[in-house]
Amino acid sequence: MTRVELKSDDLQMWVFSPEHQSMYAPMLDEKNAAGDGNDKDIELSLLSIAAIKSRMMSGFFGGLPTADLIEVERSTVGQVFMGPTEAIGFRDLTDRLKAEGLYDQINGPSLSPWSVNGRVFGLPHDVHPVMLAYRADITEAAGIDLEQAETWDEFFTLLKPLMRVSGSADGAVDHFPMSFWITQQDNIELLLMQGGGELFDASGVPTLDSQINIELLCKMVSWCVGPDPLVTDINEFSAAGHQARIDGEAIAYLAPDWMCSIWKMHVPQIAGKMKVMPLPAFTPGGRRTSVRGGTMLGFPKTSEHFDQAWEAALLLYTSPEIARELYRKVDIVSPIRSLWPDPVYDEPDPFFMDQPKGRLYLELAPEIPLRTSSPYNFNAVLAVRDAAVNLADWANSNEKYEPEMLEERAAELLAQAQATIERQMSRNAFATTESE
Amino acid sequence: MGKLSQNISQNKVVFAWAALTPFILLFTVFMIYPLIQSAFLSLNQTYGPDTQVFVGTKNFQLLFQDPVFWKSIKNTLYYTLGSLFIQLPLAFGLALVLNSRRLKGRAIYRLIFFSPQLMGLVFVSVLGALAFEKRAGLVNRSLAWVTGNETLLEIDWLQTQIMPTLILISLWLYVGFNMIYFLAALQNVDKSLLEAAEIDGAGPLSRLWHVIIPAVRPVATFVVLLSMIGSLQLFELPYILLEGSGGPNNDGLTIVMYLYQNGFELGDLGYASAVGWALALMLIGLALIQIWMVRREEASQ
Repeated sequence: MTRVELKSDDLQMWVFSPEHQSMYAPMLDEKNAAGDGNDKDIELSLLSIAAIKSRMMSGFFGGLPTADLIEVERSTVGQVFMGPTEAIGFRDLTDRLKAEGLYDQINGPSLSPWSVNGRVFGLPHDVHPVMLAYRADITEAAGIDLEQAETWDEFFTLLKPLMRVSGSADGAVDHFPMSFWITQQDNIELLLMQGGGELFDASGVPTLDSQINIELLCKMVSWCVGPDPLVTDINEFSAAGHQARIDGEAIAYLAPDWMCSIWKMHVPQIAGKMKVMPLPAFTPGGRRTSVRGGTMLGFPKTSEHFDQAWEAALLLYTSPEIARELYRKVDIVSPIRSLWPDPVYDEPDPFFMDQPKGRLYLELAPEIPLRTSSPYNFNAVLAVRDAAVNLADWANSNEKYEPEMLEERAAELLAQAQATIERQMSRNAFATTESE
Repeated sequence: MGKLSQNISQNKVVFAWAALTPFILLFTVFMIYPLIQSAFLSLNQTYGPDTQVFVGTKNFQLLFQDPVFWKSIKNTLYYTLGSLFIQLPLAFGLALVLNSRRLKGRAIYRLIFFSPQLMGLVFVSVLGALAFEKRAGLVNRSLAWVTGNETLLEIDWLQTQIMPTLILISLWLYVGFNMIYFLAALQNVDKSLLEAAEIDGAGPLSRLWHVIIPAVRPVATFVVLLSMIGSLQLFELPYILLEGSGGPNNDGLTIVMYLYQNGFELGDLGYASAVGWALALMLIGLALIQIWMVRREEASQ
């Protein structure tokens, strides 16, 4: 397939985040200005996630022009890994990363969503550990030290007294302990992973109906059912959801690092009222964090300037200046371990009552769960969400609200979800798993 | 003279072909070629043009055993029936009202009812998502205020009542559009027939049933066919409202959404093509049935 030549001689880099563009542009301009004339300039373009996906896949399939460097968000990378490994449109970076010593510098779990059969196809941009962000103004006023809670059971026990503090006659809830619902598939996935559950094993075989997933799903659903649910459904990104946050409708929120910048931008009214803490574990001694979202930088195989693109990528992704700006602007911590000692992460964050928020997130970074790169992950998450919704309906209809009472039904529903994904995967003639 | 007329005749033929050529080219490139290519794709599994495996009819076999596909058909038919049996009668009723000379400001009302079409599907979808939002949405707030029942704020329309919500939003979007067709048809009803019926003692309902409806039948047939085709191809409205997923239990998944998910999110163009062909055959079948029913009725009359 002949590649259509780009008119511009510059190296092309596509990003979808305006913040990334504003951070990278000065550094790339400096690099371009310092160039020795043999190097090509790097042209940075801001595109939507959907536009990047369609142009990228068109390039991979049809030999059409693509960029030399492409930032890809996790929700859109699945299709890249759909076909046989040799047909993946991005370069295999594994050997280069190891040869340059970068492989060991990167936070190990951050490589997993961009790896197929042990080979790495993208430079991770971030870690995205998840903490629990909570309205410390409300808990401290009530004399509750929430950081004592080491498990979810302890967490809910501590916060139950706040559910009806005002003692209103109609029994309305003043403060739900947490914002979470059975329809929030991203948070279901996040909590499943926190508890040690997984939707695919290391070789890409679906494991939706594992015993651990059943138990975790029952636990989550038990929070949402019955005459007095412990959690409430607050939209994470809408104006109505932001107002609910201001009103203190829920005390705690599942907060990946990037969520902090969303709140700073959209809900400044809660500045100085929030704190973060590690997630309560599902079992004593269990994992206290999870992970949500992610971006990688890929190098299309069709690029004829890989070495120069690689240099630019290292400049942007391992630069202490960019890492500092990334954290200060959008609260995202770097996946490069050698950058972690930077004092920027120890800076007090006034939004979070002067906590050294960055350091707190980084302490959890090595523990984030491994994630699959399976192209069926999105569908699997939706299938588990459907199982959660059906389980909740069954629980309310049969007035069974304890996790143990839900296990049998959860097993049936997750078995159906498993069958759905297996059926989809069986259609893929290119699917290769280590077990095959 | 004979040679001259032969030349003129040949020139006419050449001119005719020259006039038709652009259309034929475009039709071939954008209709015939994709049709043939999709038929070919449906017999293969592909990952780009360089990676292809011939699977024969396997995609179709899997499709007919696929419960998600059947769910998408069920959802789409539910929406289609809602469109046909709620939206079209409402559009016809509005047209009857707006055709009445006694109604003042008819032009304004026509604009009001037609204006959602001018706003565009995407904008209406976004408005719909806001209006039907749990707790803060206009619909729940209005219901709670009118009834005094605060629990109505918790109705999660876009999770638990997806198809009825879609039908309601599409009512707002399309009823004006279909009303225009019916209005045009009503304005072409022979006034002398109506007068004659009135003189003969026929009441309003009788005139409606025996004069107006038969007179607008050809337009109604066209509108029904158009609505059916449009409803069976429903995609943008649920895709925007449900943010790309089919909703819990795929309750909002339509056939075209399923095609899109398989083709452009999973990259399984072969399976997506099989879904497309299944939809095309369904549409052709339904259209043929409708035409046969109409012709049979006309023949019996």
